[in-house]
Amino acid sequence: MTEQEIIKLTNQVFEDSFEIKNELLKEEMNIFQDLGLDSLDIVDLVVALQEKFGVKIRNDERIKDIRTIGDVYKFIISLKAESAPPAPYSQK
Amino acid sequence: MKKSLILICFNTIFYILFIVFSFIGIPLFSLIVAFQAVFISHRNAMKKFRRAISWYGIVIIKALPYPFVKIIYKDLDKTKTAGPFIFACNHRSASDPFLLACFPYEFVQIVNIWPFKLPVLGFMAKCAGYLSVREMPFESFSKKVTDLLNNGVSIAAFPEGTRSADGSLGQFHSSIFRVALQTGYPVVPVCITGNEKIPARGTLLLRPGTIKIHKLSPITYDEYRGFTPYKLKNMVRQLIADEIEVMEGKGNA
Repeated sequence: MTEQEIIKLTNQVFEDSFEIKNELLKEEMNIFQDLGLDSLDIVDLVVALQEKFGVKIRNDERIKDIRTIGDVYKFIISLKAESAPPAPYSQK
Repeated sequence: MKKSLILICFNTIFYILFIVFSFIGIPLFSLIVAFQAVFISHRNAMKKFRRAISWYGIVIIKALPYPFVKIIYKDLDKTKTAGPFIFACNHRSASDPFLLACFPYEFVQIVNIWPFKLPVLGFMAKCAGYLSVREMPFESFSKKVTDLLNNGVSIAAFPEGTRSADGSLGQFHSSIFRVALQTGYPVVPVCITGNEKIPARGTLLLRPGTIKIHKLSPITYDEYRGFTPYKLKNMVRQLIADEIEVMEGKGNA
């Protein structure tokens, strides 16, 4: 999955779960101050992201550092990179 | 100079009366209700106790600061929807919880931790079943609010969670709206303006002024069924923001 695909799917989660318009989904937007999500909304967000990307997030400490939509993108990108199978060893 | 002197006199008299009335009125009201409680059910005793708190609040907000502070309460509900209700109010001043005494309903307030620490008032709030939302997990909060609503007691909450520093409407927390979605009780937006300096955040100094309280029409379950908590809280927030604009003369009436 490419970074652009991850960004697109993450935006879909925000649109489907919170009905936030796509125009508001910019990297620099603060999810608490600008979008108005609270701690309970974050639980909903985590559940929706887990379902969308098939990853386990709930107990990941890095969630606490997320402030902006850009942070969410980076977090999912790093999770997908961690869960990707290692590249096959190639002998030249 | 003359204005400052009047302000000092007003505040001195108000706070002396406030302390005297609180230390005499609250124990007196409590004793009267405690005496009646021997002869009536627990439910009726709680109803009377909450009514006594409202009377106490009315004296504090209407009688003691008179004629320096004027309160105008308007019920803009034309639907005659039956309660109990979930009231969602904007929050600009420490006087907000007292102002809700204008409501002619039995209700419990959702408060922060600090009101419970106030002498006498904190004790009264605990006895009346007021809930400190930050001191309990959401599941316990939801259960307690649901039980109160099912017993006919309305709930009043300040979903911003804290007083606004600059008068602007803060983002809303979703807890009370999640309970609304679980229970289906009507949500009533309430707008309070004019008390930004009665008293201002960070001070106890009361300034003269007119406080307006507008209770809007309830949003019934039929209207918000199927909403996400996020959508419901933002819908209520927008209704409050629009009405505040009208109240402050910035919007269309």
